Amino acid sequence: MINKKIDVKAQRKVFKAGSLMGPRSGNPTVVETDEQGKLTRIRPLDYTEYCDWESKNPWQIDAHGKTFTPPTRSVTANYYMTYKKRVYSENRVRYPLKRVDFDPDGERNTENRGKSRYVRISWDEATDIIAKELLRIKEKYGMSAVLSETDLHGEGKHVAPAHGCPNRLLSLLGGYTVQMRNLDSWEGFGWGSKNVWGSEPVGQLQPSGNVWPDVAKHADALLFWSADPETTAVGFDGYLASRMSYWLHSLGIKFIFVDPELNYCGCCQADKWIPVLPNTDAALYLAIIYTWLKEDTYDKEYVKTHAVGAEEFFDYVLGKVDGEPKTPEWASEKCGVSEWTIKALARYWAKKIVTVTVGNGGPGIRGPFSTEPARLQSICLGMQGLGKPGRFQVKWTEWNIFTPAYTIPYQGEEIINIPHRCEMVRPAEGITDDENTERGMFKLNPVAKAMPEIQQLCHTMPNAPQQFIPKCMIHDAILKDHIEWYGLDYFCSPAHTQWNKHEFPRPGCSRIHAVWTDSPCMTTCWNDGFNYVKAMRSPEIEFIVAQHPWLENDCYLADIILPVATRFEMDEISDDANSGIITSVFREYTACPPVGESLSDFDCVAEVAKKLGDEYYQAYTGGITDPEKIIELFWQGSGVAHLDKEDDYHKKDIFIMPVDPKYAEMLPGIRPFALDPENHPLKTPTGKLEFTSTAIEKHFPDDQERPPYPKWIEKSDLHDERLTSERAKKYPLLCMSNHGRWRFHANLDDITWHREAPTMKVRAKDGYQYEPVWMNPVTAKERGIEHGDIVKVFNERGTVLCGAYVTERIIPGAVSVDHGSRFDPIDAEGLDRGGAINLITPHAITSKTVTGMVVSGFLVEAQKVTDEEMEQWKKDYPHAFERKVDVACGVCLEGWMLGDKEGK
Amino acid sequence: MGKAFVIDIAKCSGCYSCQTACKDEHCGNDWSPYAKPQPDIGQFWLHLKDDVQGSIPKVKVTYTPQLCNHCREPKCLPACPNGAIYRREDGFVLINPEKCVGCGACAKACPYGAIYGNKELGISQKCTGCAHLLDNGYKLPRCVENCPTDAIVFGEEEELKDLIRGAQVREPETGCRPRVYYRNVPGKFIAGLVYDPVEKEVIIGARCIAVTGGKIIETVTDEFGDFLFKDLAVGKYDVTIFADGYDEYYNFGIDLENSVNLGDIPMTPKTVTPEDIEAEERKKLIKTEGGNAANLF
Repeated sequence: MINKKIDVKAQRKVFKAGSLMGPRSGNPTVVETDEQGKLTRIRPLDYTEYCDWESKNPWQIDAHGKTFTPPTRSVTANYYMTYKKRVYSENRVRYPLKRVDFDPDGERNTENRGKSRYVRISWDEATDIIAKELLRIKEKYGMSAVLSETDLHGEGKHVAPAHGCPNRLLSLLGGYTVQMRNLDSWEGFGWGSKNVWGSEPVGQLQPSGNVWPDVAKHADALLFWSADPETTAVGFDGYLASRMSYWLHSLGIKFIFVDPELNYCGCCQADKWIPVLPNTDAALYLAIIYTWLKEDTYDKEYVKTHAVGAEEFFDYVLGKVDGEPKTPEWASEKCGVSEWTIKALARYWAKKIVTVTVGNGGPGIRGPFSTEPARLQSICLGMQGLGKPGRFQVKWTEWNIFTPAYTIPYQGEEIINIPHRCEMVRPAEGITDDENTERGMFKLNPVAKAMPEIQQLCHTMPNAPQQFIPKCMIHDAILKDHIEWYGLDYFCSPAHTQWNKHEFPRPGCSRIHAVWTDSPCMTTCWNDGFNYVKAMRSPEIEFIVAQHPWLENDCYLADIILPVATRFEMDEISDDANSGIITSVFREYTACPPVGESLSDFDCVAEVAKKLGDEYYQAYTGGITDPEKIIELFWQGSGVAHLDKEDDYHKKDIFIMPVDPKYAEMLPGIRPFALDPENHPLKTPTGKLEFTSTAIEKHFPDDQERPPYPKWIEKSDLHDERLTSERAKKYPLLCMSNHGRWRFHANLDDITWHREAPTMKVRAKDGYQYEPVWMNPVTAKERGIEHGDIVKVFNERGTVLCGAYVTERIIPGAVSVDHGSRFDPIDAEGLDRGGAINLITPHAITSKTVTGMVVSGFLVEAQKVTDEEMEQWKKDYPHAFERKVDVACGVCLEGWMLGDKEGK
Repeated sequence: MGKAFVIDIAKCSGCYSCQTACKDEHCGNDWSPYAKPQPDIGQFWLHLKDDVQGSIPKVKVTYTPQLCNHCREPKCLPACPNGAIYRREDGFVLINPEKCVGCGACAKACPYGAIYGNKELGISQKCTGCAHLLDNGYKLPRCVENCPTDAIVFGEEEELKDLIRGAQVREPETGCRPRVYYRNVPGKFIAGLVYDPVEKEVIIGARCIAVTGGKIIETVTDEFGDFLFKDLAVGKYDVTIFADGYDEYYNFGIDLENSVNLGDIPMTPKTVTPEDIEAEERKKLIKTEGGNAANLF
């Protein structure tokens, strides 16, 4: 018998959260390791091993004689189940690094950021440099000269949060300038839809508790408008959305996709795909509304009682305002959808019960003037009786993160809120701190508030940031003398703050002279990344420190890089309120020893605090440093410890919360408004659906890009990104960009196993794995491009190299490159080999009064890269081509080091 | 008797969780004597195959997880000159890495391309069904456990018989009698959209008929003017579309090797000519006279 027993059982099993939502964690997985702490495998967590499942009263949805129940195990994103490769990545920063030609006492060579390599230095030397630089900058310019680039997402941790630790120390030093995140994945909803239907804080329809059960029972069709449950839902919440989509489809609900590309859910499940040119959705909506008005097929009674400002908007649609009726013929030319299909869609929507599904991201919501398609979508829904059975906008993700009334049946009044030791973003001095923002996630729940030790650990640090800069305007803040903008007082701040005017620098504050980043992905996720590189190369920016587990993207711009440990290398506590399956709190034990000399984010900053003096260290840590103790305190302060009658948290390392049996009683979403708008008003100024926004009318009546009612905006002073533009003669393709399927934003681009998936990377003839650029065979043929060719995608802002992925899954005239592929600069201000498409996304904000970013729906050209051209680049930029690229992982640490990855 | 895998193609979303779970288990982990480590890239003991059919906007992607079929009549086993390949009682066919010399005879013999050569280790390698786990108290192979939509089911063949009924195996003509079954394997399709080019309206309810080898399939266009003949076998098809008030549309001799999108089909509105009127009159005449319409042709 050959099969003798072998030791395959792991020596240790620990829980680890599989979500990069951050600050929340979620999606528990089971990590198995050997005796030495080498990671053996990562498996789903089987809840039935840790509880009597039925006693937890799992929720269910009943419709048409079928029942949907959540799985009894976690269904976590493919890329977290391969996190072993992330922990041991060839890309891992193993030691503190210093840019080789950075000398804080001599030449700083800021122009070489993104070009020069790194040398290994000791922790002592690294923290010396950082501490000295901070004190020098403070002395010379004041602390507002330090920009803190800390942000959400990343490994949502509580004891040692992935983001925000530098803020604690900077606050103690006297303050800082905070980078305020714009509404990156849902710009149009936040700046547009909120002005139609309220729905704080995000702008997608709220509340949304019990909407899915209602939709399952009543909807004839789901309209997937730029929505893909297989991509954007996964990074936060895992595959519950995927499972639910298959179930809903099995009920006979028709799946209609409106998207420039046939996305991953659509390619398997679409009953109908309506390809639309990127960022022309507004024209399509207007023609649908025109058809309804002409054919008298909308819910007039509902509009009369539930909406304001409809008549003037309808006049615009009918052409009474500008002499241009928004007919299907008019729209067809703009959006690339045939007149007959536009009319058929309009009639179908009028006749049937339709719910629109959305996600975060998607090509429809992050283009120029994204407020307009978002508002038009809200109005379309309003014209068909929004909130009546089966008529909603519903989201495939964030089941339970903002309010207990999120899309999946209610999981009880008692929501988990484990404290965080740091705040990632904090309003600048003098900005009203509204409860109704995403900041709520950092606020202590009443139980934690009453615990003095938690107060001591998590109290707000003494000095608020003196000023703030919208994340989408960082480059402008550095390269221009003075900038102004509206709103974004705080991340997800309420609609009434959208009219506030702000400036940088504030009176009495400094310009930026130093940057501390713990979320180095501006080049890969934001707007006009090449310009960001230019800003970071400015001699005005005297010092940049990055702390990150991986050497990627903006890290190359840093002078000092601190090696950060992943969550696998530390003790933590996590809550899962967002997988939607069932809510739990679990203890995370260290799975493996830290890679190299890496420390947790919190401890990286603590090392710097030590150098500043013991008083800083004590104040920074709050005097409690034992993770074991902190974790226990955080469990006690989680807000749900009192429900754990059997002490499962301590006995089993996981407490699984029972579902409140009352979940099914809640009326779905905004049904109360649909039934009785007077007594259940929306959070708009009038309490009604505002087809014409009273707030915009009041504050910006002459806004041409976000007028009081939504319009088709052909172009403006800021954006000229249509196929009809003069620019289109040079750049005749509309580029769309979505969240990727194989990574979470710019995270996890280095997982070698996913890089083998045909839509993750295209290995070209030179052996390099290029980021795919999707193009229709028609588009490819016009350019003599074949599948697998190296292609340059370019516009005025620069050139990004990609691998041709020729497919029927995209409309001709468009190309698609997902965001987040790692930056691999050939020329850091204009030529990238890594396929980081955000390097060439438009510079300007969404529109003059809308402080968002534009990262989809912009003009480019795509051409095959000739051998001669590649040879020339090799001659012109030898340093870039000499960097080692790993055959499986791509960009790697060794390529950026002088010496090997050990720094020898 | 023995173990079997049943894979429901209609539930597979193409997330690659099966392919990567296999790598998580076998890359960098040595499970001798069941298996030596799988190389980090290049081998796919479970390979997720994607197949794009049709053309814009009628496109469908089918993902098929393909692994060793653990055949009842494996070609690899007798092909091995060293007796390194063996079958277990549970039906799993395994390569003993200690006996294997990497000659590659098994890989050549396998009609499914399931066996890979590992030059570095000098052996042939493939899916083990995660036998090392099942023998040690784990319930499921990693690809099964990690499938988020439950598209892959594993268990005793006897207990899965309801699922296996009507399921297919890959290339049954090989005679290998695989233990990996596929449900809901889609056939090819012919699709299109029917519209009136003058009115610029889709035509709803048009009768669409496809004829192949004497067999007639019929459907009607839906609210979007769409028609879809699905789950078709490879072959020649004649498609005719009838809509009241329009000339018939013919597309004969469609060679259905891959799925076909006939596109947006403009229907020609019938024009009424003097000849038409005359023909109508003659029809009436024939009717009244009880004549045979066939005589007219």
